[in-house]
Amino acid sequence: MQIEKFSFSYNDLNVKVKSLALAMGYSTINIPEQVHHEIEEVISDGKDLCMIEGGYRIIDNPKWIKDFYQLEVEHAQFDIHKIIFNQIKKATSIAVFACTAGPEIPAKSRKLINEGDHLQGYVFDVFGSIVVEAAMDLIQDELRLKMIDKGVNISNRYSPGYCGWMVSEQKKLFSLLPENFCGISLTDSCLMQPIKSVSGIIGIGTEIKFNQYTCNMCDMENCLYRNLHQQELDEKNN
Amino acid sequence: MNELLEKLSQCIEAGKINKTSPFPPAMKGMDGADELTKQALDAGISPDDILTQAMIPGMSRIGEKFSAGKAFVPEMLIAAKAMTAAMKHLKPFFTSGQLQRKGVFVLGTVFGDLHDIGKNLVAMTIEGAGWEVIDLGVDVKTEKFLQTIEKYPNCVVGLSALLTTTMANMEIIVKEIKAKYPDKIILVGGAPLSKDFCEKIGADHYSPDPHGAVEYLNKIAV
Repeated sequence: MQIEKFSFSYNDLNVKVKSLALAMGYSTINIPEQVHHEIEEVISDGKDLCMIEGGYRIIDNPKWIKDFYQLEVEHAQFDIHKIIFNQIKKATSIAVFACTAGPEIPAKSRKLINEGDHLQGYVFDVFGSIVVEAAMDLIQDELRLKMIDKGVNISNRYSPGYCGWMVSEQKKLFSLLPENFCGISLTDSCLMQPIKSVSGIIGIGTEIKFNQYTCNMCDMENCLYRNLHQQELDEKNN
Repeated sequence: MNELLEKLSQCIEAGKINKTSPFPPAMKGMDGADELTKQALDAGISPDDILTQAMIPGMSRIGEKFSAGKAFVPEMLIAAKAMTAAMKHLKPFFTSGQLQRKGVFVLGTVFGDLHDIGKNLVAMTIEGAGWEVIDLGVDVKTEKFLQTIEKYPNCVVGLSALLTTTMANMEIIVKEIKAKYPDKIILVGGAPLSKDFCEKIGADHYSPDPHGAVEYLNKIAV
């Protein structure tokens, strides 16, 4: 198995007050002072709670079943639906990835909410999401550089639960990774534990492209990442 | 409107909890929802007027802003905290029966799902709209909903789910509740849901945001 594993500390990541505020829906100029203050406090307290682990496994020669928008990798067959299929159907290898921010951040969030501090509990929840995505950005970048050396490109990352790919396919996805990979397990309803974890696939190949913004392809209009990516794009363009 | 009630309403909308709370900075050092509610009661304003003319409109305005994308989850949570500070002064009037809730709303995240931030936001908004909310928490099984409906036979039920896998559990709960209580009104919500899904599983109303749920509840409460 070609497996790469990584662990990060908070300081390795590029997480800013702005990242959390954008994920909550604000633009950088209209963050209420109290929210700004809470974000700063959460980042300060949350730094030491990060237990970030992640990695990927590269699997060569995936099979693409065009008529059903399916991907077959080893023993697993995925219904990845049209949107994802069309983005990565030319991939000659697949990286199956998973990454977690660890159990401490969601535990802290839950504790605060149970104690009645819903605002800080919510900010910790968003912090966990941003941390795990930022860590996965680093892993994806490492993969990208490695593949450039080999003369191939990588795609965006695609996860069960988005673009029509059912969450129930998490079980098949994790069957391609070593058991308890990075400490991540699945509940019966395919919820990852720790809850602040991500998983999915990245296409690899000479004819594969990375798209700057893919959220408009997905049908989840209220998604946190859609808001985040759209705001980032808007800010870049202004 | 009475000046005290107007100020109280503004405090709830802005999330000014009490005099010592430093936010929002423009209201620093001023009385907050806590002090103003007490002052209103001391001034002889009826608890019902405080609730319906100040507190509910304050929450409603922030809810409308949220629906319109002009306010976000943190502002809703901050406003809900101010509402809670005001509400503690009205609790004795609810207990004595002098003040009536609009109804009982039983809410929970369906079994298999542990997400609760959206569900909590709905609970706080609906409570702020004058309903008694029985929050069953997360990972709630059908039996728990049925037991609670038995205890509150006139309640309205709310189900939350964030995963496509647990949306299926929502359908199970709706079917079992409707089998036993065919007229029971069930609201559903959660990021992957839609109006079509709501209709398909036999639920009565889908709302993409808490304010929409409040508007529906207010219609059926009349």
